[in-house]
Amino acid sequence: MPHALLLKYPGTNCDVETERALSAAGFSTQVQPIATATPVHVERAQLVVFSGGFSYGDYVMSGRLAQLETERFLGDALQKHFDKGGFLFGICNGFQILTKLGILPRASLIWNKSERFECMWDRLVKVSASCPYTQLLPDEFELPSAHAEGRLVCDLGDAEKYLANGCVALQYADNHNGSELRIAGLQDPTGRAMGLMPHPERFLLPRHHYDPDWAGDPDWGWGYYFFKGAFEALK
Amino acid sequence: MPATYRTIPVRELSEEELTALSRDMKLSLSSEDMLVVQQIFREIDREPTDVELEVIAQTWSEHCKHRIFAATVQHTVDGKQEEIRSMYKTFIQRPSKEIMARKPGFVLSCFVDNAGFIKLDDKLSVCLKAETHNHPSAIEPYAGANTGLGGVIRDILGAGKGAKPIANLDVFCFGAPDTPESLTEGHNIIHPLGIMRGVVHGVRDYGNRMGIPTTSGAIQFDPAYIYNPLVFCGTAGVIPQTDIAKEMKPGLAVVVIGGRTGKDGLHGATFSSAAMGEASAEEDQQAVQIGNPIEEKKTLDVILEARERGLIEFVTDCGAGGFSSAAGEMLSETGGNVYLDRAPLKEGNMQSWQIFLSESQERMVLAVKPENVPELQRLADTFQTEMTVLGESNDSGVLRVWHHGETVCELDNSKLHEAPTKHLTSVFISSPSRTGIALNDTHLGADLKEVFGDFAVVSREPIIREYDHEVQGNTVLKPLAGAAADAPQDASVIDIDGSDKLMSLALAILPEWGKTDPYAMGAGTVDETVRQLIISGTNPDKVALLDNFCMGNPESPVELGRLVECAKGIRDAALAYGAPYVSGKDSFYNYFETENGPVNIPVTFLCSGFGVVEDVSHVCGASLRRSDSVLFLVGNTEDELGGSVYARRHSIVDARVPQTDCTANFAIYKRYYERALTKGLVLAAHDLSEGGLAVAAAEMAFSGKGGLCIDLDKLPTAHGWKNLVVPCFAESTGRFLVEVDPDMADDFASAMEGMPCARVGYATSDGKLTLTSGGKVALQEEIAALKHIWKHGLTPYY
Repeated sequence: MPHALLLKYPGTNCDVETERALSAAGFSTQVQPIATATPVHVERAQLVVFSGGFSYGDYVMSGRLAQLETERFLGDALQKHFDKGGFLFGICNGFQILTKLGILPRASLIWNKSERFECMWDRLVKVSASCPYTQLLPDEFELPSAHAEGRLVCDLGDAEKYLANGCVALQYADNHNGSELRIAGLQDPTGRAMGLMPHPERFLLPRHHYDPDWAGDPDWGWGYYFFKGAFEALK
Repeated sequence: MPATYRTIPVRELSEEELTALSRDMKLSLSSEDMLVVQQIFREIDREPTDVELEVIAQTWSEHCKHRIFAATVQHTVDGKQEEIRSMYKTFIQRPSKEIMARKPGFVLSCFVDNAGFIKLDDKLSVCLKAETHNHPSAIEPYAGANTGLGGVIRDILGAGKGAKPIANLDVFCFGAPDTPESLTEGHNIIHPLGIMRGVVHGVRDYGNRMGIPTTSGAIQFDPAYIYNPLVFCGTAGVIPQTDIAKEMKPGLAVVVIGGRTGKDGLHGATFSSAAMGEASAEEDQQAVQIGNPIEEKKTLDVILEARERGLIEFVTDCGAGGFSSAAGEMLSETGGNVYLDRAPLKEGNMQSWQIFLSESQERMVLAVKPENVPELQRLADTFQTEMTVLGESNDSGVLRVWHHGETVCELDNSKLHEAPTKHLTSVFISSPSRTGIALNDTHLGADLKEVFGDFAVVSREPIIREYDHEVQGNTVLKPLAGAAADAPQDASVIDIDGSDKLMSLALAILPEWGKTDPYAMGAGTVDETVRQLIISGTNPDKVALLDNFCMGNPESPVELGRLVECAKGIRDAALAYGAPYVSGKDSFYNYFETENGPVNIPVTFLCSGFGVVEDVSHVCGASLRRSDSVLFLVGNTEDELGGSVYARRHSIVDARVPQTDCTANFAIYKRYYERALTKGLVLAAHDLSEGGLAVAAAEMAFSGKGGLCIDLDKLPTAHGWKNLVVPCFAESTGRFLVEVDPDMADDFASAMEGMPCARVGYATSDGKLTLTSGGKVALQEEIAALKHIWKHGLTPYY
């Protein structure tokens, strides 16, 4: 059974529902507070997950302190995990952390165009064909979002490059936060590392949709298939 | 080292000198109180320390002791006099105990802990607590609201052996955001727009960072709230039933976890028990605390993990009064020692009383067995928070507070808990209420647009979106739903991990009604809360309530009279609905001294309710789902325009306020729940509240799935009306619109037979709201146009 390690920082707060989604997809799971995390924890896992929340309050640039603390406690264990074929998945604040850790293509997540925290559902469009996390999903689907710093920006020309070389996993249909080229999720060229701003773990079951008449899937919400997709790729 | 405490001679002081001492030390104790204090120290034959005087002031403060709710009131209604010995016991506790006796096993704990617990299923229990943070929010809206929410979350963390917070609610009463600046200039107060933005951001930044969904809320606007805004924050929690009971024993280590202690938040409890004045902003700055949600999140992680590992014997939060009230709660019966030297401080040179009374945020106090201290320390290290053993319990029966090797406080708590009873007088004169008022009903469409633009009705969407209402992944019925996820709902419903059952949450607040008929306000507010819960899927026999009162000056007999009448209304309603009050809080002195005299807020009653949804299939939203369905209206519509949005817009001040027959309503709700809702006969249901039928019908159609056509002549009524304003805009209680599949319409009608219920219309695909009477169109408006007004009512100000 593939094993998933979820790293928890002070201020991480979506760990319970993310662990719930991982278990539903078939993973064995461990939630590990960063202060007691060791490279051994990482070695045991096929998938390392960074869930949503506000690590260290996000008072400086989101994800920055989590990156420094991760390097302090784990050294280069995550890079080694990735180099050996391991998977990494970052959701919301986890995406911000994964971006800072330098495993995903270079980008930053800054304040939304509205300069507000916004809790709303986003329509998403699948872009990369080689993303294990989205392989089971339809071309267009919905997920809930909740963030203040989700506007993806890159160095000049990088966004176009990512779109061309398959590093854009997902785009927004409506782009409420103002991301460059509507990018909602990034992946590394292999697809093993992926991050996105919306919250798949919050749409695990059809009952989590805002519309009681939602009929997209009889058994699961769209979010489930991210975790199931990773499970299928790792089992 | 300079002394960190003082001895204050009181035994030889005159009454005038005692009063002056109370004023100089900002103790907020009356001269009667000070005389009792003097007597206490004469009896024990020594002078008090400043620490002891501060502890007494805090213990006897209105904030902590609710002395007005416990006072003996001589109440006069229309010339008839009655004596009320404790409003709390008479109107809250007694009916609740009566209901609990009728429903054994439903309420698992109330009146004793931080929050009231009800049974969810065989293993789990849910609880709810709501508090106000009015005065701090008036002076520093962001920090005041921030710490208001932080405080009530800690109440839940300190409920039982540590409940897990699963939802937040927030309710605000402000001056209108378009209040002319001339009304606030020169008063040293913040404009309502600044208050609103600051408060919303304060709630946002605490709730979101704590990872607790904010699922329920409301805003009321009234000019009287310009000077005294109200900020209610509430938190719901879940806990295994076996972890509800907690008991102090001798020989336990007393431990503080979380934030450090500083000079912030001194005199918060006594500050909130006094009136605001124009000098408040400067004088009382230090009474407002500073919030750090991540510190509290780490503390939450430690407590929940420690509770699951069975490490906690007792836990409580550091709220008003700080260590003093937490240690008092834990050690006043067993006795014990607290060593102030050990408390981690934010700054040096703090006086003993400052350390003991500081209300610095994010601190929880636990009692653990000494052998479990190392494991708890490891947990604190794991979650990167600070933990200190502050003292221990013993069997001496006396709490001793030490600082630098000296006893700075040693009080017999049995004496302290007997605060002198207050004596108050109140008066209520019922005002005449009119029906059959001649009104122009030829431009109902324009009237409806005006009502939809009223701040009492407009969408809270800009605010709701700033709160994460889906974190924890359990929000099944969300505050906004429908095809475009922006239509209003009546209650929120939360999935509970580890249970097949769900918890529902709803609230109501109708301060306008209380200006003429406070009894009707009390009953109507409870009715709306209960009705919203039941039509959203809650079992009518499993509803519990919270009472939160706010008012102006209780020493004004007219103001207090309204409160007494409101309290009678909520007592009668609770008994009729079988819904006990399991927790509550009151806030007095919400008035502002100006050169033209005091401005009191209207007597304000927030009713929050929570209950058990037996199965996810019972969850029912308030948004229209089909364009071929039929509409039923349940409940009578009467000539009761008093307190309505329409009446306010048309300056009608003497119309009859809706009267609520709670007993009859409960029979209707039970029938609906048992024979219609849980039998699968209902597609959607929406309660009729602010704005009446016309607003409720349009709101249902804001789902974007259809229009509605309703025949006003078919509305159930006992006494009828003389003009069409009444069926469109009256806010009679006990009513809700139900959407039913046409194939189930006959079944629904027979399920509700004998009840005031009628098939009043049908859904359409024309995108219009059409109300007819006598075969003619009385009102016809495009749903999209109405929705635009409603959806964007707050956006220009936000």
